[in-house]
Amino acid sequence: MTTTPPILPTYQAKDFKSDLKPIWCPGCGDFGVVQGIYRALASVGRAPHDIAFISGIGCSSRIPGYTTAYGFNSVHGRALPIAQGIKLANPDLLVLVAGGDGDGFSIGGGHVPHAIRRTLDITYIVMDNQIYGLTKGQLSPTSKRGLKTVTSEYGSLEAPVNPLLYVLAYGANFVAQGTPADMAGLADVIEQAIRYPGFSFVNVQSPCVTFGMEGQQVKAHRATMKTLASINHDPANRLAAMDLAQQYGQSLHTGVFYKNPDPPPTLDGQVRERQRQLAEKAIPRERILDMFVQK
Amino acid sequence: MDDLVIGMAGSGGDGIVSAGESLIAAAAYEGYHALMTKSFGSQVRGGESSCRVRLSTNRVENVGGALDVAVALNWEDFLKFGAELPVSGNTVVIYEAKTGVAPEAIPLVGVAPTEVFAVPIGDMAKQAAGSDKAKNTVVLGLIAGWFGIAREAILRGLRKKFIKKGEELVAANQRAFEMGEQFAREHPLKQPRMMKRPDEKAGKKLLTDGNDMCAAASIFAGCEFFGGYPITPSTEIMQFYTREVWKYGGAVLQAEDEIAGIGAALGASIAGKKAMTATSGPGLSLKTEIMGLASIAELPLVIVDVQRGGPSTGLPTKPEQSDLFAAAFSAHGDVLRPVLAPTSVADTFDVTVESFNIAEQYQTPVLLLSDQEIAQRKETVDPIDTSRFKIVDRRKPTATELSDYHRFRNTEDGVSPISHPGMPGGNYQGAGIEHNERGNPTASGRVHQAMSEKRFRKLAPLKRRTDLFKVEGNPDAALALVAWGSIAGVCREAFLRAKGDGLDVKLLVPWLLYPIAEEVYRDFFASVKAGFVVELAYQPQLYRILRMFVDVPAGIQPFNRSGANPIQPREVVAQLRNASLSLQQPAMPPSSEV
Repeated sequence: MTTTPPILPTYQAKDFKSDLKPIWCPGCGDFGVVQGIYRALASVGRAPHDIAFISGIGCSSRIPGYTTAYGFNSVHGRALPIAQGIKLANPDLLVLVAGGDGDGFSIGGGHVPHAIRRTLDITYIVMDNQIYGLTKGQLSPTSKRGLKTVTSEYGSLEAPVNPLLYVLAYGANFVAQGTPADMAGLADVIEQAIRYPGFSFVNVQSPCVTFGMEGQQVKAHRATMKTLASINHDPANRLAAMDLAQQYGQSLHTGVFYKNPDPPPTLDGQVRERQRQLAEKAIPRERILDMFVQK
Repeated sequence: MDDLVIGMAGSGGDGIVSAGESLIAAAAYEGYHALMTKSFGSQVRGGESSCRVRLSTNRVENVGGALDVAVALNWEDFLKFGAELPVSGNTVVIYEAKTGVAPEAIPLVGVAPTEVFAVPIGDMAKQAAGSDKAKNTVVLGLIAGWFGIAREAILRGLRKKFIKKGEELVAANQRAFEMGEQFAREHPLKQPRMMKRPDEKAGKKLLTDGNDMCAAASIFAGCEFFGGYPITPSTEIMQFYTREVWKYGGAVLQAEDEIAGIGAALGASIAGKKAMTATSGPGLSLKTEIMGLASIAELPLVIVDVQRGGPSTGLPTKPEQSDLFAAAFSAHGDVLRPVLAPTSVADTFDVTVESFNIAEQYQTPVLLLSDQEIAQRKETVDPIDTSRFKIVDRRKPTATELSDYHRFRNTEDGVSPISHPGMPGGNYQGAGIEHNERGNPTASGRVHQAMSEKRFRKLAPLKRRTDLFKVEGNPDAALALVAWGSIAGVCREAFLRAKGDGLDVKLLVPWLLYPIAEEVYRDFFASVKAGFVVELAYQPQLYRILRMFVDVPAGIQPFNRSGANPIQPREVVAQLRNASLSLQQPAMPPSSEV
């Protein structure tokens, strides 16, 4: 009988931290998010070079650059399509997608339902701060009705998007929320999301210290947040999750809203299967024109 | 005869396009050179449909001019195609007798064809096959009978087509075909016109359209990913991928929109795979932002734009050459993006492989500008020896380079080693934001200048690729034609005819449209006093771009008109003849000497 060597953690959080200094304002919630990602990635244990981390545009979309993974800071709203192309081209990669609420629920909102229904094994982290920070304080799709900003001088007349309810209604199989006010909880939901086989969504209430509302800062989160575990929410219950998600904007629930215990087959898995089934039917590339010969 | 142009029109259910397909398949089997275009009204089903088939014992590169044979299953539909089905006095006109129109009263304005036949096509079909569905088979019989084309190959094709539905249907169609032949025998042409047989050595040809050729060529070039969104007339490329790409270990994504289509393709390229997307005009506009991203992130990507009439929805089923400005210039920021255009189904293979090679070699998006005619016309193609093509792959970093990896290293030729996720040691940050050699974001004007210079410098060798230009004729000729895309085939025939008529003329057909290869044009124009840049668009776009970069001789003029108004070789020949006459007139002395 051979002895199994003791399992040592292959990576530590610091292995995922790059040398680049974040452009974020001191106290920005995104510092907590990137810490949560370092911890989750260390725990998952994939090498940085096997991770593709794709983002859109916004303060939060600078995040891939602060990791040692392969990063891509793309264009506004298009991180999800790009990430899906990467995953389809190489299903072996761990694919992370991140962006702000504007990226995911305004300019790129049309991509979210499709990313969800395709069930590619990727993780989408939205840093939701209810404001456009990089462009200095305009309304965002998750801004509260009545919010006064530089583009809503007299208060917003529009109702906000509810990201949690949206993705649940679109059929997401893994939906969670976190806040940097609870780092352990945040790292945990990110890790669970990464480990979930299929499309997983994490909404992070990531306060903007410069343009955000006072009641939405880390300190306020700490005072008001309620973990879903503490109220005995069953994450396998999708309708209960939707019920709780309706309180978005009023109560801050953190933890896993919904985790389908019976995940559907992933698209990348099915693509591999199809490739395997059809491989033997390939005409060698150099003879591909034979298919046009009149027989 | 060695060249025959047939045009047929009817209602959607008449199977006229299907007859054309049977005919060209048989022609390809026999070894004829052939080309077929289809044209439809805008209805999804029903409505009018037509096709043109040109058969020849010589190479054919365009649909030809006036019809040798016109088939009208009803006149209303036939006339809707106007200039697409031009009839001359020499045209043999065949039409459905049931239309009740007398041969001397056919509704064609300005021409009086001498051979006109009212044929009870529907009745013959019913008699032979019990259904007028076989009308198109009767038409095939008439054509085979009068012009002696490919009888056995057509029958063979009909058998192949109908055998799945049973022997009875095969026999019924054979009877319908033979009734057509018999009618032709009983009503001989006043002036017999039997087609010459193709050369025995001609051999079988490939038969396909530009979209399928482009897709097949891309797979040959090593493409493993397609992301796109359905849009006429490019969709067949994606359809091909959904059938084939899995076999090569690749994948295809029918995305939720045009932007996601190119986004996914860009993602695949980031992941180290050759990738493409395809679209038409409106989709090109939507993809423009990510094309800019591909330029600054230096990622290989092939974008196919199958041009159609525009702007906006325009004429989505008709050819036009009006996206060249958009292809060359639709960019935010300082961008140089190669644009290539095929001129036929056959060279769509070469140009597609070149597009991938250039994209990989220079880590750049490449725009492949096809057009509706090339994309959707069927064409016989001589077998292509794929071993003469070199496949280029992007420059991977060496172990030494990985030890201190600079993704955007400003090398001498401007091309940097490129890694991809999954490659140990190659980790980098790609971005749409300006970056230094390591990929880190910067707002430094100095770095921006240096990186812009690098991105332009790496593409400079393209302009010296004289193999991307086809030049024919006497190099010292004073008379010249320049043409690109599907119109190049029209101009080549015009060039050959003009030469045959004794005109001293030369022809330049660029595959590489942008960047403008100034020296190629300078050399070509050195001897030129007069001639034309021929384009199918209201604005002569290549002509205008040439004038931005090259001293175009004053005697070179645009000859152009809007899409869906086919330009015929004889018109180009007439233009050349006029230009030649003007050259022969003694030059006017300068006014000061008068």
